[in-house]
This record gives sequence, C-alpha cells and structure tokens, in this order.
Amino acid sequence: MTKILLANIDKPEQTSIARYRERGGYKALEKALAMEQPALIEEIKASGLRGRGGAGFPTGMKWSFVPRNTNKPTYLLCNADESEPGTFKDRLLMERDPHMLIEGMVIACYALNCHVSYIYIRGEYEFVAKTQQQALDEAYEAKILGPSIMGKDFALDIFIHLGQGAYICGEETSLIESLEGNRGYPRIKPPFPATHGFLASPTVVNNVETLAALPWIIENGAAAYAAIGTEKSKGTKLFSVSGHVAKPGVYEVDLGYPLMDFINNEAGGIANGKKLKAVIPGGSSVPVLTAAECDGVLLDYESLLKAGSMLGSGGMIVLDDTTSMPETLSVIADFYAHESCGQCTPCREGTGWAAKILKNIVAGAGKRSDVDLLLKIADMMEGKTICPLADADVMPIRSFVTKFRSEFEALCKA
Amino acid sequence: MPKFTLNNQEIEAKPGQTIIQAAGDHGVEIPHYCYHPDLPIDGNCRMCLVDVEKMPKLTPACTTIVNEGMVVRSDNPRVKEAVRGVLEFLLINHPVDCPVCDQAGECRLQDYYMVYGLHTSEIPLNMKVRKRKVIDLGPMVVLDQERCVLCSRCIRFFDNVTETGEMKFFGRGDHVAIGTFEDRPLDNPYSGNVVDICPVGALTSRDFRFKCRVWFLHATDSVCGGCSTGCSIRIDHRDGAIFRLIPRRNPEVNKSWLCDEGRLSFHELDNSERIQYPSVKASDGTHATVSWQDAVSSVDSRLKEIRQSNGQASILGFASPSATNEALFLFKRYLGTQGTTQFEFRLDSEDKNVIQDEDKILRRVDKHPNSMGAIKMGLVSSELDGIQGAINSARAGRIKAGVIIYFKPLVRRDNDDEAERRIRELIAALEYSVVLAAHTADWQTAASVVLPVAAWSEEEGTYTNFEGRVQLAGKAIEPDGDALPVWEVLAMLIHASGAESPWMSATDVFVTMTEQESAYSEMRLEQTELPGVVVR
Repeated sequence: MTKILLANIDKPEQTSIARYRERGGYKALEKALAMEQPALIEEIKASGLRGRGGAGFPTGMKWSFVPRNTNKPTYLLCNADESEPGTFKDRLLMERDPHMLIEGMVIACYALNCHVSYIYIRGEYEFVAKTQQQALDEAYEAKILGPSIMGKDFALDIFIHLGQGAYICGEETSLIESLEGNRGYPRIKPPFPATHGFLASPTVVNNVETLAALPWIIENGAAAYAAIGTEKSKGTKLFSVSGHVAKPGVYEVDLGYPLMDFINNEAGGIANGKKLKAVIPGGSSVPVLTAAECDGVLLDYESLLKAGSMLGSGGMIVLDDTTSMPETLSVIADFYAHESCGQCTPCREGTGWAAKILKNIVAGAGKRSDVDLLLKIADMMEGKTICPLADADVMPIRSFVTKFRSEFEALCKA
Repeated sequence: MPKFTLNNQEIEAKPGQTIIQAAGDHGVEIPHYCYHPDLPIDGNCRMCLVDVEKMPKLTPACTTIVNEGMVVRSDNPRVKEAVRGVLEFLLINHPVDCPVCDQAGECRLQDYYMVYGLHTSEIPLNMKVRKRKVIDLGPMVVLDQERCVLCSRCIRFFDNVTETGEMKFFGRGDHVAIGTFEDRPLDNPYSGNVVDICPVGALTSRDFRFKCRVWFLHATDSVCGGCSTGCSIRIDHRDGAIFRLIPRRNPEVNKSWLCDEGRLSFHELDNSERIQYPSVKASDGTHATVSWQDAVSSVDSRLKEIRQSNGQASILGFASPSATNEALFLFKRYLGTQGTTQFEFRLDSEDKNVIQDEDKILRRVDKHPNSMGAIKMGLVSSELDGIQGAINSARAGRIKAGVIIYFKPLVRRDNDDEAERRIRELIAALEYSVVLAAHTADWQTAASVVLPVAAWSEEEGTYTNFEGRVQLAGKAIEPDGDALPVWEVLAMLIHASGAESPWMSATDVFVTMTEQESAYSEMRLEQTELPGVVVR
C-alpha cells in the first residue's frame, strides 16, 4: 500500500526543515508555484481528494466555490481542532511531520490566492502547537513563508490559533466565529464560508490531513493519486484505531481496504483473544456496526454508507464482546451533552436529557419505557438544528439502542 | 414580488421577505421564540420549522427567504411533530412555576403549549437542570435563569439596539444561562425593553412584578407623554390605577421600544397632590371651592371686564406643550373670542428642543409630548418670545390677565424647577390669572382662579410629535375629583362667552380642528391610529 502521509512519520528529526528537505520536502511547492493558480485547482479536482475532517466533501470543488477577483481577501483556515472522540491522526501529522502540513497549506494558499492563513489547533494540543510553531519559524527563515515565498512575488503569513477546548469549534462556522473572538456558535448557512466566512470574507476551511496530502498529489500528479482507492473514494486515508485491538494507533491505508482485514492485519486483531462485538468506524458520532455487519465492508465513503455507517474522520473504535453497550453509549452521550454549544433548543435540551436517561439506565434506575424514550428523543433532535452536533448524538443513540436493545432492556428493571 | 404557496394558499411576499414575515402579513402565525421583527435574525429556537418542498430537512421560517414558486407547509404532521418536540424540549428543564410567575397569561410557553403541546411531561422533577433564580439586574429587571428559553432576544437587544452588550450567554449545553458579567446591573436607559421582548418569565419588571395578574388588566392604546418623540404605548390599568406602560410596535416612531423613563413616567402622576375642585380667590386672598358653573362664569365675566378696560392685548394665553391638540385648539378659539392676540407656550426653548435628540435611539431633549402641536397651532409670539417675555410684559403692565395651562412634566429634568419658578413669577406678575392644572403647586394660592383638569392618560386626544406625526391617545382612567379634560373646560368657557359650543367629545373637537386648522386639514381620526399621520 502506498504511504503518502505516513511515509516519513517514523524517520528521525523529520520535524526539522533540513531533514524534511533532504527527504524531498518543498519540491512539490516549487512545482506548484510554477503552475497557474486555476490549473492547480483543476489538478486537485482531478485527484479526487475529499475532505478528511469527516464530511468527505471534494476539496477541489470546495476551492472552486471561492469567488476570484473580489475586493475582499481570501482566507485559508486549517482545521486542526481534531476533537471527534477516537480521532488522533492530525496530531500525529503535526507532531511528527509539521512541514508537510505547511507545504500543503502554502500550495493551497497559492491556489486560492490567499495571503493570510490560520491553523486552528485544539487547546489540548498545546504541545503540538509548539512543534508546529517551530516548523513555521523555520519556514519563515527559509523564506518559504513571509513577504516573498520561494522568491516569488507572493506573500503569505500563517498563524497558529489555539482553541479553548470546545468540540463544537471543529465545525467550520463555529471555528470561524471562535477565530473572530466570538462564542463558538455554528452559523446559519447560507451564506457559506466560501463567500462569507472569516471576517465576512471568502474562506476555505480544510482539515490537516486534507492539506497534508497536497504535496504528494502535486509531486506525483493527480492521476497517480486518483489511481489509488476506489472509483469515488480516491487516495489513502488515516485511521486512528483505539479500543480492544492488539495494536492501537494511526494507520494509513488505501481507501477501499476491507474493514475486517484492517482490524486483523493492521491493528493486530482483537486483543487478549476476545471476540469482536462492534465497530464504530468513523469517530464517536457515526452509527455503530455490529460484528456481523462488518463482514465485507470496505473502508471507503460509499461502502460504509451502504453498511449504515460513515467513514467520518476515520476514528475507529473497536469493541470486544465484554463491552457493555449501554455503558459505552452513556459515555458517548455524556460527551455530546457536555459539548453541545447550547444554541439550538433540540440539541441543547436533547443531548442533556438523553445523557441523563442513559446514566439512569446504567445505574440500574432506568424504566422500560426509557429505551423507547431515547429513540423518541433521537427523533425529536434529528435534522432540526443549525449544525450536525445533534445528529452526531442521534446516530450513536439510535444505532446502539436498536442494535443492542436487549442489553438496554436487561438493565431497565423499573 | 415572489409568489409562493403556504398550506395550499398562494401568497405574495415582498422581495427579500422570510417565510415567517410573509406568513405573518397574511395572518398565518408561525410559532416562534427567537424571531423578533426589530432584532437581527438568529434562528436558534427551532420553533418555526416548516416543511419546504425540495428541501430534505425542515427549515426555520425565520431564516428562509421566500423564493418564487416555493411550496411551504407549516401545518402538516411532520411540522407539527417537530414543533411539539421543540416545545417539549423547552419545557423539560423549565420549572413550570406559572402560579408564581408574572409572565403567566402572556407567556409564549403557556400559549404554545395549549396549541402545539398538550403532552404529558416525561421528565421527573429531580432530573431537571437547576439554575439561578431572582437575580437582581438593576432598577428595571429581575432575571430567573430557569424560566429562560435562551432565545437571545435580550442579548441581541443590547448588542444591536443599545449597542451596550451587557447580556451574554454563559456555560454550555443545557447549562447555558443568560446573564450579565458578575451580575452587574443593567445600567442602561432602555433596559426595560428586554422584559417586553422576553417571550417567557425569565426577565420580569421590577416595577410591575407581583402587582397584578395580567388578565385582570385593561389595555388602552396611548402615546407616551414623556417627551416629544411620542412613542406608541399601551396603558395597562385596573380600577382607575395604572399598573404599567408597554410599547406598541410602531415602525414609524419607536419600533418595539420604549425608554425606561417613559415606561415609569406614569408614577409621576401620583408624585404630587391632585387639584380636585375649581377654586376662586376671594378679596381677602383665600381660595374657596366653587362649582364649575360659578368658576366658568366668573372667569368669563372678569376677562371681559379686563378686555373692555385695557384692550385685547392685555390678555395672555399661555398654553402647555403637554396639552392635547384638541385642548390647544379650543384654547386658541376661546381666547380668540376674547380678542386675545398674545399666545405663548414656551417655558424654555421647546421650539428648538422638540427635534433635539437626547440619544441615538428614542429620547428627545424636550420632555413634552405636544410642543410640535403648539407650534403648529401657532401658539408662539415673536414679540413675547417665551415665558420671560410674558413675565416682562405683565410686570410692565401691558398684560393684565392670563389664562394658563400648566402640566408638570412626566419625565423630570434639572430645569423643571426653573420652569415652575417662571410660571410662579408669571402668575405673581398678572393682575388676574386663570390656571388650568392637574397637580397642586406653591403658586396655587397666588392664582385668581384654579381649574382642575385631567392629566395625561385621563382624557382622549391627539398629540403631534417632533416630526409632526399626529397620534391618538385613548382615555385610560378617570381624573381625580371634579377635574375635567382641558378641552371640556374650554368648551364650557366658550359657551359662557356666548359663542357656539357644539362639542360633546374630543373627537368632535378634532373634526372642527381639521376643518379650521390648515396643518390638520383633511385629516381623519382613524389616520391618527397606528402608525399615525404626519401634518401638512
């Protein structure tokens, strides 16, 4: 399998610009700077690269929504808020190969004609931000950033902004609000960030992993990238695997790789000789798959959707047969209740209510009717809010409760 | 003009209108908490969700702009269940303390529950989120965080209308609460408005709370008497007592707002004693209560004597910029029958202050509701040039007698005492003075005749605001004692003078006024109702 993002992740001193360059770094940028901006966007479109933050929206298309020749500045915001439970891939990229992200960002900024860019890093990643800042400082010194990038008449500044620990600020419009200094509340769309984003100007928000893939695509060509993966899911994807596997960690595989092969071959199989019970394939907000449902599923956007779940951010949580599903769901529901920004009624009230009911159930104080009440609350929340946080709570609630209903009922004595 | 279909009915919307606005214009109320016509749109409450054809999800009617050919349903089972669900969510952590809540009777939670809810609560009391109650937010507002539906109307009011930003959200998830930083008081001349726009009982009025259940109150449409802006208001009263003033929405004048001073101005009516009966000063200098008939005939005959012996220029008409147009019209007419040419109303520089802003929102420097009415009625004399000229003329003996209307301002300012001192000087300088007033004052014993009149809120009439907008104010309560509306006193004087006095009501006077005063010509009374009509 091709290693695009993790090719140098274990190499010594990869964080230094000298080592990065020795191993071929910033070559892609040179190539990109020689290209016309529209051609660069076309190249990314042709690669089939899709947003790796969770939604999987085609990156080239997102870029093409940005109006050209406006009198407002265009902003590129790198979403490094990585806050989906089970996801820790962006952290690895920034910690171990920060120049790859910078190179990707400079390419993107050049393509978008953007001169000021921000990396919005989650507050808990303060140590990651330090590494990333050192890399930025080196890049400035090497004239890869600053008033004239690589001697070209193109200025670019990249700043790091640390979040303050809110999950919601990974949602692109609340990330923008937060960066503007406001309370991290998702905005009503339309207008979309492509036209009215940061400081009411055209804005692109891209995930770390998405931007980090750009140097390889430019260097090797869109066709080479598009040759990897499936028809609609191109390239490679990072999966952060946690839970009951023998070798948890971050793995890069071609999209379309079989899920069970991934768990057994890459992640070392279920730990301690236990049996697989369920998999949450794309971060805590996607529907859970039972072991039976995992058979034949491929790790790509379409196959996971067909199986009733989603690829999401690739934060895979593997659960063995000793796992209590009500307890697991209770932990997930607590998270969303804690992280709901509180703006929209259904999410604000629904996440908290569901979490309390689940706590009661786990404590043995649940009523039989609570199981159906959870499903009712899920219906009352779904699709009725500004951002998808409520749906991110609905998906685990509904899938856990319907697929493992007997476990919930067994706990409800009253 | 985009046309769209709402619940099978074809509706024409104004360009750029949202579904909720277009529906409202056509009498279809889409339930909502956070939407307010005079605040920026927020879309957080999710109560106004509607089903729009070709949109996969339900969409808020407050944020969705009408497009040509849109097919919208606000009444299908999908929408009804969604709205019911939102309402259920809003109520799970609500304390449901309606029996002790001032908002009861005008609460959107109660109203919508009866229409869209009617469900049984599925949350036990011990599972509800507890928040803080009875938080003192300054002179006007008391906050109860538990009752709040977090619609952000108050926050948006302070962010966008007063631009002072005192209120914010604190916390996250179902622990979000509104408040001020460290409970600082709302030190803001418009803070009372958040009580009106709060759709529930979270923000209640410090002045009104626990005074009266709202369903016992009677409402009378009126115009604020606190300054020359003339905000449209509603007087809520019961058994002859005013309990509160709240703004009526008038997009041409005050939108949905009212300043705190105007809101509390009715208390000024009770701040000093009322004059209850007509009285005439006897030759020994003491005042004796007399009947209206005796008072009126004595005034008329005395004024006639003075005119005959000193000429018509010896009689002054000094009007009040707080009197209604109807009162001012009959004032001018009565003194006209006496031949008077000397009219004034200016205690200070009302003719200039009338248009002067006190702030950028509503308040104006001139604290009288009808200075523009007095100007339009021509009650200014270039010769006298205000009250000081009148005092000088009286002292010089050129003016012997005066008929004076005086109302204490409902919103007080430092120069009020100065104005009252001048009134006292004027009365002292006049040989014969007739004062029409509502409240007692220290000049009372100096006046030759004191006639008790109805104060603001006690008579029907129109006021002309700073921009010349004529607005109707209804009569809310009865005046004290034998006091009568100014127009009625003047109608009696006109009758006593032997001239025709055919008016039975303020409306009759209004009609005559529109026939004879060019500024008001062809004006119809119904035009003076919301939003009022601007004079020629």
